[in-house]
Amino acid sequence: MTEFEPNIVAFLCNWCSYAGADLAGTSRLKYPPNVKVIRVMCSGRVNPMFVVNALQQGADGVLIGGCHPGDCHYVQGNYFARRRMAILKKLLEYIGIDSRRVRMAWVSAAEGNKFADVIKTVTEDVKQIGPMQHFRRSNEW
Amino acid sequence: MVNLDKLRETVKEMLTREDVKYVVGYEKGTYGFRVSPSFAFIPEDVDKFIFSPLCVNNLTIYPMLEEKLPLPKDEKEDARKIGIVVKGCDSKAAVQIIQEKGMKREHVVLIGVPCTGVVNPRKIKARFSHQGKNVDVEEKNGKFVFVIDGAIHAIPKEELIFDKCKHCENPTPVLYDVLLGDEIHSTEKEDYEEVKAFEERSFGEKWDYWKKQFERCIRCYACRNVCPMCYCKKCMVDQLSPQWVRRSTNLSENAAWNIMRAYHLAGRCIGCGECERVCPMGIPLTELNKKLQKDVKQIFSYTAGLSLDKKPLLAIFSPEDPKEFIL
Amino acid sequence: MTTMEKLVLPKLGIRKLIIGMLAEHRFFGPVDDDGATLFKQIKDPAELDLTFTNSTVPPKALLFKQTETLFKFSLGRSVKIDPVDITNERTIIFGIRPCDAKSLAILDQVFKGDYEDPFYLTRRKNTVLIGLSCTQPGVNCFCTSFKDGPASSENVDVLLTDIGEKYYVEVRSDKGKHLIASMKELLRSAKAEDENNVTYVEEKAIAAITRNMNIEGMVNKLDKMFENSLWKTIAMKCLGCGVCTYLCPTCNCFDIQDETALEKGARVRVWDSCMYPEYTLQASGHNPRPERVNRIRNRVYHKFNYCPKNYGVTACVGCGRCIDNCPVNIDIIDVINKAGEAKV
Repeated sequence: MTEFEPNIVAFLCNWCSYAGADLAGTSRLKYPPNVKVIRVMCSGRVNPMFVVNALQQGADGVLIGGCHPGDCHYVQGNYFARRRMAILKKLLEYIGIDSRRVRMAWVSAAEGNKFADVIKTVTEDVKQIGPMQHFRRSNEW
Repeated sequence: MVNLDKLRETVKEMLTREDVKYVVGYEKGTYGFRVSPSFAFIPEDVDKFIFSPLCVNNLTIYPMLEEKLPLPKDEKEDARKIGIVVKGCDSKAAVQIIQEKGMKREHVVLIGVPCTGVVNPRKIKARFSHQGKNVDVEEKNGKFVFVIDGAIHAIPKEELIFDKCKHCENPTPVLYDVLLGDEIHSTEKEDYEEVKAFEERSFGEKWDYWKKQFERCIRCYACRNVCPMCYCKKCMVDQLSPQWVRRSTNLSENAAWNIMRAYHLAGRCIGCGECERVCPMGIPLTELNKKLQKDVKQIFSYTAGLSLDKKPLLAIFSPEDPKEFIL
Repeated sequence: MTTMEKLVLPKLGIRKLIIGMLAEHRFFGPVDDDGATLFKQIKDPAELDLTFTNSTVPPKALLFKQTETLFKFSLGRSVKIDPVDITNERTIIFGIRPCDAKSLAILDQVFKGDYEDPFYLTRRKNTVLIGLSCTQPGVNCFCTSFKDGPASSENVDVLLTDIGEKYYVEVRSDKGKHLIASMKELLRSAKAEDENNVTYVEEKAIAAITRNMNIEGMVNKLDKMFENSLWKTIAMKCLGCGVCTYLCPTCNCFDIQDETALEKGARVRVWDSCMYPEYTLQASGHNPRPERVNRIRNRVYHKFNYCPKNYGVTACVGCGRCIDNCPVNIDIIDVINKAGEAKV
């Protein structure tokens, strides 16, 4: 039986975490291929609606990658993102969705290794939790 | 609860002011235990105004429902104030909207009514489902008293009031221009017992519960339209490009709608319970809103609708915000 | 249609009757769902709740579905369009009230106009309506205002009336006759005593309806009061929430949307409401009904002026759902009565 391979959607901020992911790539670091990256200019741009929509469309886990506190290219975006995600996770938990599906990580442009580790961690965790079936779109009409 | 003559007198006086356009209050409904919002433009309109334990509506929605349409060239907008009769919970909505800059403080004149609890329409309808004629309800000695066909009914308050009223921390409006009656001080505290109990359940149990509720949603958006805090010019569900939430009614879209609406009310919902009252399917929406209210209070020490000076929850941040969940 | 047969069914026989029907039909009846009564498909008669006044969502939802796939499409070398298989299954709607049955007769005219809607009509053709007379009308029921009644069998195939120990069974159509043909042994002919009981039950129900809407001459009156200030007074209260339209048995506005998932998708019809500003919002940004006053006036006129002119029937059946559920107590009976009294 084929093992469950989760779909992870990662919203990575252009200046730090996306660059970090780039570095992981150029350094030829190995990490699970389950992640699908969407580049945003800042983690503060991530609307919780994106996370919910991703979960609807087939993502088993969602990762939001941002700059370390104090290092945000737009000064404060990551702080706002942190607040939003804290609340969203609480809400999802209350509905019965394991909040380990929605993760946040601070990855700087120099942290290629950390990016690879983050992806490994998130993929492993979501693999353990299982496929996201709760409010997935069936796309069968 | 409140001296009706004083209420009407106060409103009439307010209407004589040049800077007040109209006053919104309550009037008797057309049947049973209903009460209807009432608009007074001239003093004669005020004779209909009442205040009773049946006045459940949150009238602070009305300043947000004003439609601002393009005017003919020389016509200027009528930007006069609106008077609103507010209970304790309603006033918190006004505070929260002003805090968010949704409206200006000067735009409203608040007639505060200290409130000792209102009747839950579902509960009273369950007991008197065939009451056609409109009934007046009074509060006397901890009981709701009313007369139907000559028979006097006196029912203990706790059996009929909303759950929100049982733990009301602000029976006296927190913001008002005029207060009708003495301040009521409450020793009640909202302890979020039910929320905490639900949190203890397993993920599977929680999802089964909410799955069943979301499947019943008919996406009529009554919850959104009655909520004073839902005043976005273009709601997320009405966006077509891109479309976030499809209009089909199935579990996926209904869940997305309810989750996102609850999320958008985080740190903003003041717990008036109107959403749950108007839901035709009786979905327990206040449970979701209460959960976020509790968490926001616990984690960020923020309570919505109490102070005009505070900044909205998601417009600020603190370096001490929770970080344990971040990798 | 005239009454074809008059029979009675002992109360205990209802279970067997339903089981018999379940065998060859999809069977929908009133079910209590956490406080709200809804018409749902059942597998066992025990699931039914026949003590209901009326369902929250009207049974129109079974024929005019809230979400209906019109066709599917997929992207290969070119676009492929697949028609949807409209169910031809025989269906029974059991326990439909006379007002809701009348609403289906009104909806028939909408969906059978110049363009016939295959979705609604196929289902309608394959559906048998077994009505249940109201013995305890709701506080806001006013079907009698339209010269109808709580025990009217005009628009159903079979009407059941609870007369105590038995159900009086009135067969009104070939469909109905055909349906109960196989279960004749459960039924016997009605006697004069049964007929008297029915009359008694019906009169009692009619007497219990206390609210009345003065519909006389309303079409002409409305013609004269388009610009009347009454509409603004009502519109000030209105939240534009749309509950009235979603729960109204005759409302039939809809939206059509394409739902896509990269390489496949479907065109879907969903319920819409004329109370939302987006309903008439045009691509240019212009909205012919920009204010709530326009929309609420339109709704009243649609039901009490345009429909009577176009179809010869008032598009209101007096079920009272809009009155029960309006958050701000906008009461259509009150509105029309006030319109009748308004000075023009």
